[in-house]
Amino acid sequence: MASTSSGGIPNQAAGRKLPWSEVIAFVAIAVIVLAGVLAGVLAGASPQGILTNVGFYASIAIIFAVLALGFNLQWGYTGLFNAGIAGFYLIGAYTMAIAITAPSPPIVIGGIPVYPGHLGGYSLPLAVGAILAMLAAGGAAVIIALPALRLRADYLAIATLAFASILQILANNLQSVTGGAIGITGIPKPITFVSANAPFLNAITIVGIGSAILLLFLLLLQFMAESPWGRVLRAVREDEEATMALGKNTFNYKLQAFALGGALMGLAGALFAVTLGYVSPSSSFAPAVTFSVWVMVIVGGSGNNRGVIVGAFLIYGLEWLSVQLKDYVPIALAAGLPTIRLLLIVVGLIAVIAAGVFVLFSRYMPTRGWGRVLRKIQERGWVRNGTIGAFALYGLGWVFVFLEQYKPGAIGDTIFYTRLMFIGVLLIILIIYRPEGILREHKRVLR
Amino acid sequence: MASESILRVNAVDKAFGGIHAVDRCSLTVLPQSITGLIGPNGAGKSTLFNIIAGLYRPDGGEIWFDGTRIDGLPPYEIVHLGLTKTWQIPHELRNLTVLENLVLAAKGNSGERLLNLFFRPRQVKRDEKQWRARAREVLKLTQLDGLANEHARTLSGGQKKLLELSRALMSDPALVLLDEPVAGVNPALTGSLMDLIEKLRQGGRTFFLIEHDMNVVMNRCDWVIVMHQGRRIAEGRPEMVKTDPVVIESYLGG
Ligand SMILES: Nc1ncnc2c1ncn2[C@@H]1O[C@H](COP(=O)(O)OP(=O)(O)OP(=O)(O)O)[C@@H](O)[C@H]1O
Ligand SMILES: [Mg+2]
Repeated sequence: MASTSSGGIPNQAAGRKLPWSEVIAFVAIAVIVLAGVLAGVLAGASPQGILTNVGFYASIAIIFAVLALGFNLQWGYTGLFNAGIAGFYLIGAYTMAIAITAPSPPIVIGGIPVYPGHLGGYSLPLAVGAILAMLAAGGAAVIIALPALRLRADYLAIATLAFASILQILANNLQSVTGGAIGITGIPKPITFVSANAPFLNAITIVGIGSAILLLFLLLLQFMAESPWGRVLRAVREDEEATMALGKNTFNYKLQAFALGGALMGLAGALFAVTLGYVSPSSSFAPAVTFSVWVMVIVGGSGNNRGVIVGAFLIYGLEWLSVQLKDYVPIALAAGLPTIRLLLIVVGLIAVIAAGVFVLFSRYMPTRGWGRVLRKIQERGWVRNGTIGAFALYGLGWVFVFLEQYKPGAIGDTIFYTRLMFIGVLLIILIIYRPEGILREHKRVLR
Repeated sequence: MASESILRVNAVDKAFGGIHAVDRCSLTVLPQSITGLIGPNGAGKSTLFNIIAGLYRPDGGEIWFDGTRIDGLPPYEIVHLGLTKTWQIPHELRNLTVLENLVLAAKGNSGERLLNLFFRPRQVKRDEKQWRARAREVLKLTQLDGLANEHARTLSGGQKKLLELSRALMSDPALVLLDEPVAGVNPALTGSLMDLIEKLRQGGRTFFLIEHDMNVVMNRCDWVIVMHQGRRIAEGRPEMVKTDPVVIESYLGG
């Protein structure tokens, strides 16, 4: 990976070890994508359909990655907690939609106004729309931050939370601007394709443009955040009062970080508008988006720009995969039921025998060779934890088997609807064992 | 009378709820002196330092530093005027390295302005290099150079005190307020630190320090101010203060 630079001065420790955490993270993402592809193959989708689907994953993950970069600048670097990420995202998406979409007059059917139309119809170029989206969201961040950043830290969270809720209500009700509940449709694609392959080609262009933007902003943020300027941000995060007493106008730094972070979230919104082709005040801008981004930054490693991108690809990957598996899992479970039952019986037998042998022989355990290994395992508490885990899994297996016989299909659906709980459990495990995230913030070794 | 003083505190007042921490306190510090501020626990010494550094807003009174009225100014402007304070309880930036803590404390590092990163990359590079070199010099003086690239959170209590002093020196201050600079520092190092302060004073700096270590106060300060219950109750040469009945009374009477 690119080494960081501080105003052009090399900043990296010499002689790096193999970055295991990065390897693991990339393998995990690869496994998610492959599992999704496999599910597509098993469901009998066409190769192009599968690729389009993977492209969709990548484009949404890129959008989340941009959101995560914005939040990382605010929180990971500067310690500013933003509870209204969805609001800045919404502003970006609507600004983009209004700026680049062709005019759409109100629709009246039989004297009843069905669609009130929306502001805009300016048909501006995409790049102009994206810049406007960043300015609008960044400007909104400044307006909120000016009063809120002068107060105690928790007021910023409250203010941003309120801001996001108000925006979602406004988007729903300010019909002549936002198109109300229907929203704004017909947002143009970067390139208009007229062929049967249009969805595929669209996915490819969007992923291409998204990756370029993500890379550009990763490099830019890395340059800024790892500079002396970024060092002041980290100082503010650690102790604002001390930083002030060291001669820094901390308010200015907080304002800059918050505004730039907000602008990035606006850019993510602009990407979202173009990727989907429509915006509406639906779940896309619900508080759940904000929570997802928090999880991505915490899991990936706050204070590490590459880490939060990994977090976005991982967490959204789990979400995406659960959708891919939604249709396949019930079928597979039904088909594999006899095999699963047999497997459980065999595993159960083996476990009972192994436990018996272990208990019998643990008294006369030799101190060399295998005995040493066994003793070490015992000392570390692996036996206890492993046994508990194995029994839990085993019991769960039987519950599954009986449930599946009693009500076929229920389990597959349950897995789908409990996927957020699953992500929550993963998050808790991670916070316990690696609170600094998968790719932790590195130490800046100056030379 | 005190026209040539570098710091003049005039009837400064500060209350926290019912606690009158600083009570119409007045004092002056002469340039190029090492002035000690002593007094029993809770006398209001640290509170007074925080007010002078701009961290607390006084309820009343005036503070003049080098001909400028500084009460009401934000802390960072006071630092830029040449007055820096250290903390009694170290405020190290925990997840920054020792070297980063120091470089951050420098004044006028052009790379700390966002636009300079893009429009003056060469100056940014030059400044950063210069301040890193300066930081390493300061770390040698305070004997922390072996820990330059360690996270500040890993330092011991005494080392954190040294970090406080090192950071203060980075801003090239005319007046340094040291809040118990050698508390928790081992005796051998205390000696060499006070030698360093003496040397810096000869170089033209002024030190105003709170200290409970009477050895340091008696042997190293050339003027001592005594505070009790938020007020200045005595001042003078160390040996005179030591025998002042009012001072003895306040310490024994608590
Ligand atoms: N932020 C605060 N809020 C409320 N009370 C405070 C605050 N800071 C100081 N005090 C109170 O003001 C009084 C003076 O405290 P200060 O820390 O200035 O004493 P000090 O002379 O530095 O004592 P020490 O020698 O123990 O450091 C104490 O009674 C203290 O409890
Ligand atoms: Mg004190």
